[in-house]
Amino acid sequence: MVRVGIPRGLLTYQYLPMWKTFLEALGAEVVISPPTTRQTLAEGVRRMVAETCLPVKVFCGHAVALAGQCDYLFIPSIKSVEPRVYNCSKFLGLPDMVRAVVPEAPPILEADIDVNQGRRALYRAIYSLARPLTWNPWRVREATRLAMEAHRRYVQEMVREKKTPPQALGFSPPEEEAPHRLTVAIVGHPYIVHDDFITHRLLPRLKGLGVRVLVPEMALEEEMARAMAKLDGKAYWTYEAEVVGAGAYYLDQEEVDGAIGVAAFGCGPDSLMVDLVKRYARERKRPFLTLSLDEHSGEAGLLTRLEAFLDMIERKKRKCE
Amino acid sequence: MRVSFPHLGHLWVPVRALFTELGVDHVVPPLNTRRTLTLATKNSPEGLCLPFKLTLGNFIEACELGADTLVQAGGAGICRLGRYGRTQECVLRDMGFQVQLLTAGVSEKKLQGIMQLFKKISGGAPWARIVSAVRFGLAKLNSLDEIEKEVHRVRAREKVKGQATALFQEATKAVDETGDYDSLKRRKQDYLERLRAVPQNGEDPLLVGVMGEFYVVLEPFSNNDVEIELGKLGVEVRRDLFISEWTRFSLFLNPLGINEKRRLQQAAMPYLKRDVGGDGWESVGEKVLHARHFDGLVHLAPFTCMPEIIAQNILPSVKEDIPVLTLLCDEQTGKQGMLTRLEAFVDLLKRRRASRRQKVGVH
Repeated sequence: MVRVGIPRGLLTYQYLPMWKTFLEALGAEVVISPPTTRQTLAEGVRRMVAETCLPVKVFCGHAVALAGQCDYLFIPSIKSVEPRVYNCSKFLGLPDMVRAVVPEAPPILEADIDVNQGRRALYRAIYSLARPLTWNPWRVREATRLAMEAHRRYVQEMVREKKTPPQALGFSPPEEEAPHRLTVAIVGHPYIVHDDFITHRLLPRLKGLGVRVLVPEMALEEEMARAMAKLDGKAYWTYEAEVVGAGAYYLDQEEVDGAIGVAAFGCGPDSLMVDLVKRYARERKRPFLTLSLDEHSGEAGLLTRLEAFLDMIERKKRKCE
Repeated sequence: MRVSFPHLGHLWVPVRALFTELGVDHVVPPLNTRRTLTLATKNSPEGLCLPFKLTLGNFIEACELGADTLVQAGGAGICRLGRYGRTQECVLRDMGFQVQLLTAGVSEKKLQGIMQLFKKISGGAPWARIVSAVRFGLAKLNSLDEIEKEVHRVRAREKVKGQATALFQEATKAVDETGDYDSLKRRKQDYLERLRAVPQNGEDPLLVGVMGEFYVVLEPFSNNDVEIELGKLGVEVRRDLFISEWTRFSLFLNPLGINEKRRLQQAAMPYLKRDVGGDGWESVGEKVLHARHFDGLVHLAPFTCMPEIIAQNILPSVKEDIPVLTLLCDEQTGKQGMLTRLEAFVDLLKRRRASRRQKVGVH
């Protein structure tokens, strides 16, 4: 059986059920790299240019962990999934970068996913992804259908049951209802927010401090799109909804006491998007904290800022009551 | 309505000519200085790249001179550049300037977009007048770039350092002051001749290609005058990127299906198979193509520039052998640090050339 490796980083958090279903329907065995560790990050940092952003370094570390474990690496180059809305360059060049810095990696399944090129080009790209596994276009078609269905189920499950991506993927146990003193929304890309190693266990830590956490995946896509349209007009970046959309949406919700923007240091799109949300929070006089993460961010500093922020929200809440 | 625009090398000369021809009330922001950068850094979101900050600084200084309509490049599917305008407008409003920001969608609408923008700015001037103004602007641009190419050649060879640079400054001023084609042509010829007449030292200089991100390559302030400094070290600079080349292709020839970058892109194919926005693809291609006839390459990129980070990660794996020095540009860059690195790089190139010549028996 052909073994295909999927590095546990970047868009994997958005699309894993889709990719996994697709590959398994074509008869491949899917190998996912283990959760991020110090070793993963160290490997990524060692191989990539220093100013590369943290999530890409982590992704590279995962690719290294999979080399030798599988026959192919699955790293599509996702340029655009909506008409005239484009992704950050790093997603486009991901397969090429991995090939350059991980020479021992197995062949990469790469295809340009760009809906602006029309349906035919998209089908051809999907077919080329499946080519090493099958030549039969009908099987690819069926696998694509199953994959899209799995993706829809995954997105709905997170919204309906208020689950985070790792919970919906079965990586971490589902949450139990616990009494909470505050509700805080986390705004940011899932590949940063849900990687407990790079955020220094931000989410479990907040829960431990008696905070109910809302993440962008729990909000309806349409609601985020509406909130974003109000603040920003048409999206410019592919994953703008999970930052600007979620930020604008949650900051308007009465039940949310404050929001935390989590971004990687040196992230190009976030430098603009988080700033937009920050401006909006200032305008609406809502508490907002920006956490900029890189491989040097210390745990103690993060904790201090978090506690100070929560104390501030609580005091504000008491004053209002 | 008083129009202003950001700086990019000597682009202000043709733009000023164009606006004057059209009778548009405009103001050229002061040339980039330390003050521009400080003002911009203070007011812009911290994680943004140098081109954003410097163009914002130009806008702030233009607003201080009374500008209320600003022109910025834009468009979808390039890098952060497409979103500059939106955030810059927010920042300027926060600072208390009531401005209108117009974006020229250069990446998709090409010539048509730019012409419509001029129509709008000029308050509906007749097309014939716009076309003739654009032609005159382009003539100035082409003359300046032609002179600059000669400056690159002379700078490396001149006996007394600094003459070519001084002549170029003089030429920029002279070209800016001309008002008709005849005197423009005469002045261009005049400066080209004066440059050729500069006494030379007769040495065979090193050839170094300058490549990388569009803005930092073309705006000398943003790269700490790297070309002048290389010239002082006796190095001849070659670059493919000129504003006149860019306008010729992006505005006129690309829509006709002529792509000047195809050669670079095809060269980059074995290492980077797709366009990653900005100039990342071309940067990889430059290394592949120029490995044979250049002694070295200087790769310029703004700090945190997404496409250039991809290029940087890929460049070491390119098999074509040529030394590359990557210089990152941001508001923290110190000139002395850069000079030290340049000197070390040039020493390395000299030794490399000498040892290669010994191998093939050329002296």
